[in-house]
Amino acid sequence: MSTTTPTGPPVASTPARAGGRLGRNTQRLNEIGLIGAIVVLFVVLAATAPGFLTVTNQLAILRDAATVGVVAWAMTLVIVAGEIDISIGPAVAFSSVLLAKASGEWQVPFALAVLLCLAVGLLLGAGAGFLRARWGIPSFVATLGLWSGLRGLAQYMTDGLPVPLEPNGFLDVLAGSIAGIPTPAIIMAVLFGVFLFVANRTAYGRSVFAVGGNAEAARLAGISVARIRVILFATTGLLAAVSGLLLAARLGSGNGGASVGLEFDVIAAVVIGGTSLAGGKGSLLGTLLGVAFITFIGNGLVLLGVNAFFQDVVRGVIIVGAVLINVLLSHRKGAP
Amino acid sequence: MSNTDVVAEVRAGTKRYPGVTALSDVDFTVRRGEVRALLGKNGAGKSTLIKVLSGAEHLDSGEAFVRGRPLAGLGTRDVAGLGVATVYQELSLVPDMTVAENLFLGAWPRSRGAIDLRRMRAEAREAMARIGVHLDVDSPVDSLGSAGQQLVEIARAVGQRPALLILDEPTSSLAAAEVRQVIDAVRHVAEQGVAVIYVSHRMDEIRQVADTATVVRDGRIVETLPVGTASTQEIVTMMLGTAPDALAPRARRPSAERPVLSARGLVSEKLHGLDLDVRPGEILGIAGVLGSGRTEALRALVGLDRPDAGEIRLRGEAVRPGAFAAMLRRGLGITPENRRRQGIVPLLGVDENIVISDLRRVSRSGVLDRRAVRRAAQTLIDRLAIKTARPGTPIGTLSGGNQQKAVLARWLHAGSDVLLLDEPTRGVDVEAKRQIYHQMRELADDGRAVVFVSSEVEELADICDRIVVLRGGRAVAELSGDEIELNRVLALAIAEE
Repeated sequence: MSTTTPTGPPVASTPARAGGRLGRNTQRLNEIGLIGAIVVLFVVLAATAPGFLTVTNQLAILRDAATVGVVAWAMTLVIVAGEIDISIGPAVAFSSVLLAKASGEWQVPFALAVLLCLAVGLLLGAGAGFLRARWGIPSFVATLGLWSGLRGLAQYMTDGLPVPLEPNGFLDVLAGSIAGIPTPAIIMAVLFGVFLFVANRTAYGRSVFAVGGNAEAARLAGISVARIRVILFATTGLLAAVSGLLLAARLGSGNGGASVGLEFDVIAAVVIGGTSLAGGKGSLLGTLLGVAFITFIGNGLVLLGVNAFFQDVVRGVIIVGAVLINVLLSHRKGAP
Repeated sequence: MSNTDVVAEVRAGTKRYPGVTALSDVDFTVRRGEVRALLGKNGAGKSTLIKVLSGAEHLDSGEAFVRGRPLAGLGTRDVAGLGVATVYQELSLVPDMTVAENLFLGAWPRSRGAIDLRRMRAEAREAMARIGVHLDVDSPVDSLGSAGQQLVEIARAVGQRPALLILDEPTSSLAAAEVRQVIDAVRHVAEQGVAVIYVSHRMDEIRQVADTATVVRDGRIVETLPVGTASTQEIVTMMLGTAPDALAPRARRPSAERPVLSARGLVSEKLHGLDLDVRPGEILGIAGVLGSGRTEALRALVGLDRPDAGEIRLRGEAVRPGAFAAMLRRGLGITPENRRRQGIVPLLGVDENIVISDLRRVSRSGVLDRRAVRRAAQTLIDRLAIKTARPGTPIGTLSGGNQQKAVLARWLHAGSDVLLLDEPTRGVDVEAKRQIYHQMRELADDGRAVVFVSSEVEELADICDRIVVLRGGRAVAELSGDEIELNRVLALAIAEE
């Protein structure tokens, strides 16, 4: 035998191994639990909320889900990477204002105005990502700057008043339906497919998980962590702009005061879906369920005629409750 | 000396861990005012002895006493109450707090509910004076540098007015010039009647600080002797005992090829004019004590750090320093020293942890080809005998050795031909060690360059074709082929300045 002896008692590896398995199972468990919660919510609302089951209301739910969902897919990757983007609400409002201003007052051709909105959204997000990647400014702070700045800019540009949009075919399609399904819901569904694919099947998507799981290890393995971070925020910026177009089409105007608090609905949906704010762990399927959960609650509270202010209280309690149950479940299962 | 001078004692102490006898029938005594060096290889039983004396472990048989009280059944807190204070290698200070705040961390002097700042400062100055050091107690700890921080750690331990002070490699992260301050502080403490147990691998420093040395090997005490009377060579021989078995077939074929990677005059915080040549087809060992610049040398070579001065050439061409991504593209690979913090992405599968080094190889226009991922990973899992339930099992659940093999596999996947391995066998079991050695040998035979950094000189002497010894950020000696002998390497690595 060699003279090299282990420096301490050999560590039993069995518990750790079991922990890993269970780690995966808890994610599954969380998703099954969420499906259960959504089914219960659905049944309860169907029984108690007048008009919940009507086709009109179900389509309205789909349309509402898109408000959160379109950005939530991108946000899932941001949070998996261990980052956060809180600029969504103002970015959406700003994008709607930019579209109205550009196509109206500034007389930019409509198609160009749309492209302008998307490009500006992308660049603003990339800018925040660059601040994070290059100088290590925490993403909360970088996007807090956008959160404040874009809301202020949108309100300043419009004097706090809605800016009407000239109706056109493109806006009608965005605001309307295709084959009976609300267009925003279709866009949300397509984007879901795209992000599901990107997250699980592309080099970029897996790199996001690696960066969130251990940024230093990812860097030493040759992944360009900075590039990944810039792309992440550029993506949320772009999709916030898309949401802004949908909002403008729906309201028929650019509205600097719209989408207040949207960022927290999006983050709540992602977190309820089981994505860890610590990074490295999460799933788009979970976020899809989180979006459904949040949308059903919002819709139900309106139909039940709950006081508008009190709705926020109920939502707050339910969101924290959902995450608490999630955490308790994973502790129970993950504990040695 | 009378028996009342004895501060701590172990009688016929034996301690077993599953598969290892860490201490075997050990007798050990340390007296007031004595500085006792504890010497031995990694795994010789030093840490276990320290743990027993600080109450963190208990003997299976035999007895341990501190100031005459048996330690059986006592916890670390009780033993601390008896007057044992321990300073471990890792610093446990809050960097942004001041020296004074750190000295009383969690036990700040209070008056009427608030922290009594005046008293805290006064007592802090007193505590620093007790180790003979004068520092501004209001400066934040992270402005002090490593030596200053280590002194604060020692002052904090001494502040508990211990009868026995245990220092576990207190200078391991310090540059040679900074060591002096720690030595002075330790001498100062001993003069006040405190017994000190001092663990270090640096012979020159042990000669300055210690009165006596106890050499431990394979869980037994070989000898306790006055430091002044023994030569370094004698002590090294005692530490090693009989010649170790070969861990891997010795090749001893230093390569005659042109260097693939070479450094000239690298200067940075820890490097002071480092010259190094890395040749294809050989295992180059880098020896040297902690703080000699081993890790820094690797980081500079691979472009992770940018040296202040010096030149790095890859295949004869000068490269831009600090261009890490470019170096990886051009065939370098590095496995970091701290596997858990820098090596693995714990939640991802073994397969993804392997192919992460070059995702392009297993994807087409950015889209991963799952079959290619599985094939690439499985090939390497087989080649390195990585024990995992499935290729997709999260790597965080594997044993250290298997994790390390996967991190190494990464660079085989990327097809790197210059491999820089920083402590690839640390915390790895014997079997995995052998597999890693064999892998290194195969890579070298395959014509690749392997650079092997290790703090275990034994393994370097066993498997390297050439060894460069670093001291104080410079290459001070080079041994190749048959010149490589364990005792020579060891003596060079820990030799006096």
